[in-house]
Amino acid sequence: MTLLSRKCVPFTPLDRELSKCSVALVTAAGVHRTDQEPFHIADELGDLTFRGIGGTDEVSDLMVTHHHYDHSDADQDVNVVFPIEPLRELLREGIIGQVARQHVGYMGYSMQLKLMYEQTAPAIAEFIDRQAKADVVVLTGG
Amino acid sequence: MCHRTVVAVQREIEMRGIPTVLITVSPEVSAQMRPPRAMSPRAFRIGNSMGRPGMFDLQKRVLLDALGLLVGPARPGEVIEFDYPEYGE
Repeated sequence: MTLLSRKCVPFTPLDRELSKCSVALVTAAGVHRTDQEPFHIADELGDLTFRGIGGTDEVSDLMVTHHHYDHSDADQDVNVVFPIEPLRELLREGIIGQVARQHVGYMGYSMQLKLMYEQTAPAIAEFIDRQAKADVVVLTGG
Repeated sequence: MCHRTVVAVQREIEMRGIPTVLITVSPEVSAQMRPPRAMSPRAFRIGNSMGRPGMFDLQKRVLLDALGLLVGPARPGEVIEFDYPEYGE
């Protein structure tokens, strides 16, 4: 568990140009692939799992399962919470170096906050480090 | 809630040595968790982190402004607000 005080902010400077960076997205908005197991919205305690989303996955193969916000706009256009197509455009324009090979969707709502902080958050960070191999991460709350 | 837990995830990623930036539409909630870098598009509704459906240019601008925080002066723990009039009421 992170024992840092909330007053202490972890901070890593960017040590290279953005145009040489691989960028990954992480969203708490409940985004996942249609062929992945949906998040368990029936469980009152929430869902502590996350899903890896491939950097080349089509947006038509993505969906949202989340019951704590109105995701009708994301159902129409997932980019409103998971901006993968704008990110690809920034790659075409040479502003970023790569779209990371993996991205993450999870359902930010959970009543099991201790587990969320002690297990889910570090597990997502490890996935981003080891599987996505991202240099930079953009997160959205939903 | 999502805008709180997402900062916990952000801080974990940052502690692994990977720079991050958060886009939050609940700036007060996210700020309580002291994000390493964060921006908030003012007056965007929950579920509209990047703008409205089909507003590709706006979504791209919000993303660019978020990435801009990685190369600008550091303001760890703060949420910096941006205005996007094209979002509408």
